[in-house]
Amino acid sequence: MSDLPPETETAVKLPPEIEKAVQHMLPPNLLHDLRTPLGHILGYSELLIEQMKDAGREEYIPYLEKIRKAGHELLGMMTDNFQATRPKDGG
Amino acid sequence: MPKILLVEDNEMNRDMLSRRLQRRGYEVIIAVDGQQGVALAQSESPDLILMDMSLPLIDGWEATRTLKGAAETKHIPVIALTAHAMSTDRDRALEAGCDDYDTKPIELSRLLGKMEVFLGGDTGTAAGTRKGA
Repeated sequence: MSDLPPETETAVKLPPEIEKAVQHMLPPNLLHDLRTPLGHILGYSELLIEQMKDAGREEYIPYLEKIRKAGHELLGMMTDNFQATRPKDGG
Repeated sequence: MPKILLVEDNEMNRDMLSRRLQRRGYEVIIAVDGQQGVALAQSESPDLILMDMSLPLIDGWEATRTLKGAAETKHIPVIALTAHAMSTDRDRALEAGCDDYDTKPIELSRLLGKMEVFLGGDTGTAAGTRKGA
């Protein structure tokens, strides 16, 4: 137990080759599994924005835009952190 | 009204994308696996196929190879949809015979632009009638 580093040290920047190896240890379909429900959040929020505009319910649109914006931010984080090192697998 | 065959096993993806396409004036028919996708492509002669690649029974790559190898369906444009954005996925889809490729989550304006390339003027008409659904 005493060999374990203090928890704060896990936040230290790892060398790129180590970081890449760690990312390869993630479940191979993690990116796919995360992108699917994220796609639902983005797609339905966009669909609702369209429908609210058509129905003249402008008061709901800012909230739906917040959901969509948060979804895009999450997608950006996933793309930046996982995409480049995804193990080769199916679509 | 252009007829689109959407081959997608995920219920929410099917519902979401078909609603959004119908709102823009497309007729959308649905297949839930690759086998049904091949069968509907043969019986319904759609103007374009949106093909998810991770599918049960027959995956999207095999379904596309089957469609592109058959005289009656090889002319139908196939746009591959996958949740991966790697260039290898794009290459695999094109090697299987897909005419184009797009990634999920779907960015609708980007996808519509790719569909327009194959549908020509028909898509403009469909987009112009966007209402309802």
